[in-house]
Amino acid sequence: MKRAALLVATTGVLAAASAAVAGDYVVVRGAYYREASTRVIQPIVEVERESPSGIDVGAHFLVDAITSASIAAGTAIDNVFTEVRDEVGLRVRMRWARSDATIAYRYSAESDYWSHGIGVSYGRRFWGDTGAVRLSAGRGFDTMSARGRTPECRPGMSAVTCPLDSWYAGVNYTQILSPVWLAQVSYELAYLDGFQGNLYRAAPNFGYEVVPDKRLRHAVAARSAYYFPQTGTGVQLFYRHYWDAFPGGDDASALDPWALRAETVEGRVYQEVTANLELRLLFRYHWQNHAQFWCDAIAIPGCYAPGSTYYSTDPKLGALTTKYPELKVVWEAGAMRDLPFFRWFAGGSFEVSYGYFLQTTSFGGAHLLQAGYRLPY
Amino acid sequence: MRIAPKWVGLCLAAGLLLGGVAGCAHRPPPVAPWQREHLSKRALRFDADLQEDRFRQHWLGSREGADLGFGQPGGGCGCN
Repeated sequence: MKRAALLVATTGVLAAASAAVAGDYVVVRGAYYREASTRVIQPIVEVERESPSGIDVGAHFLVDAITSASIAAGTAIDNVFTEVRDEVGLRVRMRWARSDATIAYRYSAESDYWSHGIGVSYGRRFWGDTGAVRLSAGRGFDTMSARGRTPECRPGMSAVTCPLDSWYAGVNYTQILSPVWLAQVSYELAYLDGFQGNLYRAAPNFGYEVVPDKRLRHAVAARSAYYFPQTGTGVQLFYRHYWDAFPGGDDASALDPWALRAETVEGRVYQEVTANLELRLLFRYHWQNHAQFWCDAIAIPGCYAPGSTYYSTDPKLGALTTKYPELKVVWEAGAMRDLPFFRWFAGGSFEVSYGYFLQTTSFGGAHLLQAGYRLPY
Repeated sequence: MRIAPKWVGLCLAAGLLLGGVAGCAHRPPPVAPWQREHLSKRALRFDADLQEDRFRQHWLGSREGADLGFGQPGGGCGCN
């Protein structure tokens, strides 16, 4: 659901600015993620068609080919497998003079995990089209199963498949502050009810992990962008604060099993090198504490007290920091217009990026390589 | 009943935002239509990389605990 909701939330949020950009396009991309325990290859194709009648349609299809050695992910069982996930999404947007509404649907399937997501959003521009507010909502229906066993979806409740229901709501406000400066603030809320762990991950002395089945998650974020026309340089800054809680509990109390907090900052520098070539340098820093029920059972096998209600070895629920530097190159392919055959690509742009993801968890570092081509039509 | 300080802060921020928006209605917009040539630059767009954002959400959601948590389909890979 989040993907659909994010898509809904971000597509057209800056309608005032994006009105100058062609809305019809085809994008073909590939992404490669490699760390010691996991490799992911993700090809994706996306198409969008804007209609003069004010009804736009977009669709995407992607495949995740994931090879994972789960021992490095903190499990007690060494296991290597490759899995393929298919995802398809469809969205329809209706535009009016100062507003738009979007409905999006996404379906994802793999051999042991199926997910439906639907999202809606409504956006309105005002103050001379320099301000835009967007409201988003979404609903997710996930179902998962465990190969080779009947899992306990909740303690004492075994079932062939485990459900996870999710609700999402978000609001953001974007303001153009000057011809070269704009800012955005946002708030997002998600409620999850169902199995939220991993059906294959186990904790020493306890067996398969058990995590709280309800979670209320919040995030506030602010970002700003500024452009220096004299040098063709742009700067974006982003800050996000996250917190969550077990619904109905006192999240200020140590009794709350979640109470995870996180801070994320990100900076981007865009530099136009020539009329057709642009560089983007990005650095992201993320910090979080651990979920209150979590302890490092891999390093300290006895850290969970006998009879503990919840236990997990999921590294992402522990205290961690991550850093991500990335360099991206975007090339407008107009120079190819005089070349036989390749002139078909002259109307689009190529991009390639490389980044290195530094993690303080047992996952270690990860290489990310992405390449894509975008053709407006 | 005790009200958490963060909720007071959120309400205050929302009030300031709404007040600011209401106040803007009586002022001319900060940018005229003929001053928008730079606003389509990638550097001034927050929605310029939807496909990149989608992939980023996938790997960050499986490696950090502060993702909002829905729409991270995937079980066998240990991504949950």
